[in-house]
Amino acid sequence: MPVATKPRASSAEDADMEDATPPSAQQVIDSQEGGGPMEEDENDNELADEEDNEESQRVRILPGSTSTAASFEFLKEGHTLGNALRYIIMKNPDVEFCAYAIPHPSEEKMNLRIQTYDTTTATAALEKGLQDLEDLCDVVSEEFWTQREKFTVAKH
Amino acid sequence: MEYDTMMMDGESLGPSVKISAADSTHVDFELSNVDLSFANSLRRVIQAEVPTIAIDLVEIEANTSVLADEFIAHRLGLIPLDSREIDQLNYTRDCDCDQSCGKCTVTLTLHAKCSSDEVMKVYARDLIVGIDRPNNHIGNPIITDPEGQGSLIAKLRKGQELKITCIAKKGIAKEHAKWAPTAAVGFEYDPHNKLHHLDLWYETDSNTEWPKSKYAEWEEPPAEGEPFDYDAVPSRFYFEVESAGNIEPDAIIQEGIKELQRKLAGLIHGLGENDEMNGDYDGPRSPDGMEGGAPWQDQGYTTPYAGAGNASAWGGGGATAYGTTPYGNSGSAGW
Repeated sequence: MPVATKPRASSAEDADMEDATPPSAQQVIDSQEGGGPMEEDENDNELADEEDNEESQRVRILPGSTSTAASFEFLKEGHTLGNALRYIIMKNPDVEFCAYAIPHPSEEKMNLRIQTYDTTTATAALEKGLQDLEDLCDVVSEEFWTQREKFTVAKH
Repeated sequence: MEYDTMMMDGESLGPSVKISAADSTHVDFELSNVDLSFANSLRRVIQAEVPTIAIDLVEIEANTSVLADEFIAHRLGLIPLDSREIDQLNYTRDCDCDQSCGKCTVTLTLHAKCSSDEVMKVYARDLIVGIDRPNNHIGNPIITDPEGQGSLIAKLRKGQELKITCIAKKGIAKEHAKWAPTAAVGFEYDPHNKLHHLDLWYETDSNTEWPKSKYAEWEEPPAEGEPFDYDAVPSRFYFEVESAGNIEPDAIIQEGIKELQRKLAGLIHGLGENDEMNGDYDGPRSPDGMEGGAPWQDQGYTTPYAGAGNASAWGGGGATAYGTTPYGNSGSAGW
């Protein structure tokens, strides 16, 4: 799957610029041809659009990404997820490089860079990383609970 | 692509937990065979992201005490409230109701008036919890002192009165520390500082001048003249979790892990949706169209659509982007 820079992503980035490029849906782009008068409406649409998606769409692929080397931007995430995810993705032998950064402390954004070998894609590696981390959580949770029970039994 | 996450790097065993002490307010344990990043995520999540309930809105009908309204409101907010089974309570922002309802809030009222000559103390036990709530313990003020009084809210002199309605909401400590489930979390590793993650100040010898951690005897001290192992990573982490009283300490850990998983599950879900969206755009459409008529934005990047029919990312792609796309005018529109 060729990981396209998501069209949404590029338009979202420009959303607050006055000359924002139109949202990526084809018909909207076409209407842009018409020129000036439409512009304001479109910006409004885009804003509304963004608010709708804010909850569901918390990850986007940053421009300039290819299928095996992609940068992801996570909204409302920080070191809590970033570092653990970075570690677990790096554990994947198909991943060549993975790192995370919080570009600015007052923006709730976390960037994650994944570069993989040709055997997989960056998106697949991310998905696998998320799944692996969830599995790790399961293991630790279960281990904690069994040990806690054992401790209570031993004390009595 | 199959590999066992935990079997690598010489970690022959999976994650293990060893509990050294536990009571109603504490749990001390050692978490081993995990990475520092995971242990730290666990610490961060139990300190900042485990939801609890705390007073968030305060309506003051009468306050003739010496304390200012906002001062009392702040004190009320800090009173720990029973947050067990918090899953049964919605976040107010997610709730279907208009302002607040029994599914997302707990109402507590306080009415106290001093009529005697002695100073009257108003305690958390004097808060009356409304009946409209998911279960009959959520939102109860935590009272652990032998007198059964709970936190002191204010003192009243003769004739002074407090009449207050509080609305308690679910929240996390990332927003305000009053929602913290933990009073303190100890987090420690490598008690002998073998990894040199610390640079200890000393007069003549850091070993004799610094007190040893209680976990120092759990681990082998470095041998005399042992060379520094620059490949070593920490693998044993000592947690000392102290609950604020609103959730049992074990439950804090469980909830913390659950919260981490909730984050992950949310992202996995979101990513799935994204894929579908990508699918739409990966179709036979002109790759330039996907740029939304913003060819300038792509300068300096290789085109991500190389596979989608743009044979030459630089020459061909660039030329068509400006020449033959229906958005030829976008250049001027964009600028």
